[in-house]
Amino acid sequence: MSPGRSPRLPGNLLSGAAVLLALALVALLTPPVVRDGAYRVDLDRILSTPSWSHPLGTDGLGRDLGARVLCGARTSLAVGLMAASLSLLVGLPCGVIAGYRGGLADTIVSRCVEAVLCVPSLVVALALLAAEPRWLGRLPDALRIALVLGVTGWTPVARYLRAEFLRLAESDLVSSARACGAGAPRIVVRHLLPSSLAPVLVTAAFTVGASILLEAALSFIGLGVPPPTPTWGGLLAEARHHVARAWWLALFPGLALFLAVLGCNLLGEGMRDLLDPRGGKRS
Amino acid sequence: MLLGVGRRLASGLVTLLLVTWVAFALIHAAPGDPLTSGDADEERWFLTLTAEHQAEIRALYHLDEPLLRQYGWWLRDVVRGDLGLSFHDRRPVREKIGERLQTTLGINLVALVLMAFLALPAGGYAAWRPGGAWDRLSGALGYALYAIPAFWAALLLQIVFSVKLGWLPLYGLISDGGERLGIAGRILDRAAHMVLPVVCLSYGGLAYLSRFVRASLLENAFGEASRAARARGVSVARLLIRHGPRQASLPMLTLAGFVLPALVSGSVIVETIFSIPGLGSLFTDAVLQRDVPVVMGLTLLSSVMTLAGVVAADLGYLLADPRVRRVPG
Repeated sequence: MSPGRSPRLPGNLLSGAAVLLALALVALLTPPVVRDGAYRVDLDRILSTPSWSHPLGTDGLGRDLGARVLCGARTSLAVGLMAASLSLLVGLPCGVIAGYRGGLADTIVSRCVEAVLCVPSLVVALALLAAEPRWLGRLPDALRIALVLGVTGWTPVARYLRAEFLRLAESDLVSSARACGAGAPRIVVRHLLPSSLAPVLVTAAFTVGASILLEAALSFIGLGVPPPTPTWGGLLAEARHHVARAWWLALFPGLALFLAVLGCNLLGEGMRDLLDPRGGKRS
Repeated sequence: MLLGVGRRLASGLVTLLLVTWVAFALIHAAPGDPLTSGDADEERWFLTLTAEHQAEIRALYHLDEPLLRQYGWWLRDVVRGDLGLSFHDRRPVREKIGERLQTTLGINLVALVLMAFLALPAGGYAAWRPGGAWDRLSGALGYALYAIPAFWAALLLQIVFSVKLGWLPLYGLISDGGERLGIAGRILDRAAHMVLPVVCLSYGGLAYLSRFVRASLLENAFGEASRAARARGVSVARLLIRHGPRQASLPMLTLAGFVLPALVSGSVIVETIFSIPGLGSLFTDAVLQRDVPVVMGLTLLSSVMTLAGVVAADLGYLLADPRVRRVPG
């Protein structure tokens, strides 16, 4: 395509942003009346099929599924955003130090990255949550899960930054800045970070999606945010008990989860296209 | 060259030590110890033990010693090929893993073969006509598949194929009374039980892999060297069939390192949903029971397998690509 900056935003960026914006609005603007409905038990209406009064049907205790899915959006999005922020918080300094300083720092960070990569993230999260050190148990549920997910999610950011800084550390950019008398912190913050921050944000978008997915998996196994707080993964776990009778319990929470993850991935992909209009080599 | 190989292997070993040590320390960071914790509903056989017996068990598992010493004992035994005894039923961990390994390996192997066999033609065909109908369709489809969580897919498949249509069994690996069937019947029964788990395990990797095959084919098979080959009169089909796979094989090797952990995570979820007695469900149970030797054994197993994949890929690069040799590590 054209070598210059294309004025049109990529379609996947727009659609991803639209999906996420819609979900975020829904999560933030759900009226309290609806939120109460998520916890209101109605034993006369157990497992009723979708109808006008309950557009998405009711669950095994007669609670309105629609309200529960809406409330789940809050938890999922909050956990996803917190986990991604934590990943950045850990991955950014690790990658920068490893790439810029090299040597021992690089060896330590690289070994840690490889260690995290070679154990499946679900396994790490499971072990952490099941072990549950005391200080971890005192935190609010959502933060606790986000913390565990952050532990496993920081490696892509660190890896990218390490490679990028390793490349830049020997460039003329750095040597000229150093010749002008700039110290390491100034070179890193003023000269190197700005140019490599955009791809980091792309990675962060994918991390949000992956965190939402992993949180749902943990809740599905029963180690996530505990009931009665509705989460998408927890709703799907409940659906397992009624799999023979109530298809709507499985369909709608999963659909919401799917849309959220797809939205994050589309957004990330769109941002990448924007940065590199020639089309991604890695897709 | 040899130095590079040695360094790579050594650093892999360091990583392995790091992983097992962190896992060990983590599990022990939890409050209480195996003799004082456990599910309330579970049969707590150790409560009936006298003080002397408890002391005996503590000594057997080295529970009273400092953490580093305990890790040292564990490491010494592992080097000797002994993974210890399960806290839960006092059976050797190796035996417990061994009897479930076959089930998980079987399902994963079928899933891997399915992935490779479908991803190669799907990705290859997409790379043949980039931007064509199949390329765009498979791209969008793969994208959607990649965002579908396995446990949701499993539930929907169960509802459609087991509940509504009644074609496939809902869970487990054998039907009730399946042991009495003939050999052919038993194989068919087993196959029917494996369809849904295998599908759930492989679709995500399949989506990822086929896009990956497409990308690496486009980059290599349709790069400058192959444009030169085309100019010499080599046909596209020949290029794809003869040279494509070789060109794409190295990146594929790297990818194996990333697909393997995903398969392990997937096994945990899929085996839980379909009630399959494999390593994934053994892992979940062991974590919930705080069965340290079993958790450690499984962590070791999965990290050794994954690391082996990553290291093999790096060594493959080292052998094939002279540019890599100058940058060790």
